[in-house]
Amino acid sequence: MGISIDYTIVAQVLSFLVLVWIIAKFAWNPLMKVMEDRRTFIETSLATAEKEKRQAEQIKKEYQEEMRKARQEAQEIIAKATKAGGERAQEVLNQAREEAVKVKSAALVDIQRERDRAVAEVKAQVADLSVTIAEKIIQQKIDLAGQDQLIEQFIQEVGEMQ
Amino acid sequence: MNEETIIWHLGNMTFHGRTLVMTWMVMAVMLVFMFIGVRRLTSGKPGKMQNILEWVVDFVSKLVTDNGMEMEKARPLLSYLLTLIMFIFFSNLVSVLPNFTFNLFQYFHIDAGQLNKIFEGATLQAPTADINTTLALAILTIILVVGMGIRHKGVHYFHHFIEPFPVFLPIEILDLLAKPMTLAFRLFGNIFAGEVLIKVILMLPGVWVLPGVLPNTIWLGFCVFVAAIQSFVFTVLTTAYISQAVAELH
Repeated sequence: MGISIDYTIVAQVLSFLVLVWIIAKFAWNPLMKVMEDRRTFIETSLATAEKEKRQAEQIKKEYQEEMRKARQEAQEIIAKATKAGGERAQEVLNQAREEAVKVKSAALVDIQRERDRAVAEVKAQVADLSVTIAEKIIQQKIDLAGQDQLIEQFIQEVGEMQ
Repeated sequence: MNEETIIWHLGNMTFHGRTLVMTWMVMAVMLVFMFIGVRRLTSGKPGKMQNILEWVVDFVSKLVTDNGMEMEKARPLLSYLLTLIMFIFFSNLVSVLPNFTFNLFQYFHIDAGQLNKIFEGATLQAPTADINTTLALAILTIILVVGMGIRHKGVHYFHHFIEPFPVFLPIEILDLLAKPMTLAFRLFGNIFAGEVLIKVILMLPGVWVLPGVLPNTIWLGFCVFVAAIQSFVFTVLTTAYISQAVAELH
């Protein structure tokens, strides 16, 4: 095995070129195509992911804005309701007070009237009694003997009437 | 021992039979290897073999771009460079294989194409341990260099031969011829020397064979390393020469 150059070189060139051709055809080209496909796929996936992330962020922002608005509205509604409630309570209270005053004055009028009537009644009764006493005295004059007894009886009768 | 060159005759042409048989063997192994690799091609999750091939593709692509060549210019070359690096690596590895035919061709006296003499002895001969193989690859490299130069620059490619002065023309031509020469002889020398040393270790006489096991193991490991390095170097230099030829400088 020395260094001798002959037609082997031609055979090797041809063999190698055929090998390159075959392997390129059935292996390298499909393989590189597949790798390229994967690269494109990853690129588009990344782009899509990026886009979706941006969309999600947008949606999140909108959602937060809406949340903020809703909360604000709720605050306003509560404030309004509290205010309205307070006003209503005050109103009710005022009404009650007025009613109370009215009832009280009506009661006072009633009491006055009752008292007046009672006084009138007493007056009438006193008048009746006076008449009755007068009658009795007149009767006693006829029967002087039993004067003390009469007065006693009268007083007793008055006491019973009280 | 298989030191004698097996000569095949075709008309008045002669061929190195052992080199050719080994070359075709390597090519067959490569075809099987590649076939297994691309059997279930997928752009999704690649299998183990596909992964290896993709690694090789990425490796060589990176090599090309690192040499300053645009991927667009290099794309038609990529298949060639990929096949080149793998062929040289597989070829170099043949020298560390033992003779797996166990001299059966000799035993059964099969002498078609002198096969009995080709598969003789304890070792096999790497295709790259023949200057014809390495020179063939180097010639292809230089054809590519000139071809790519003309393709991308037209006649302007030849301008660099007479720059900065026409006096440099002989030197430039010498440079162009030295490139494939160095490529061929570097690869041939490395692999040939590796084989020679393996044979020398195996020639240790008698009881000395046993202490020879350890150095042989180490040397075989080193040969695998050299096989990888030399295939890498050959491909890198090919890429570098081509990228020089297509570069827009000068």
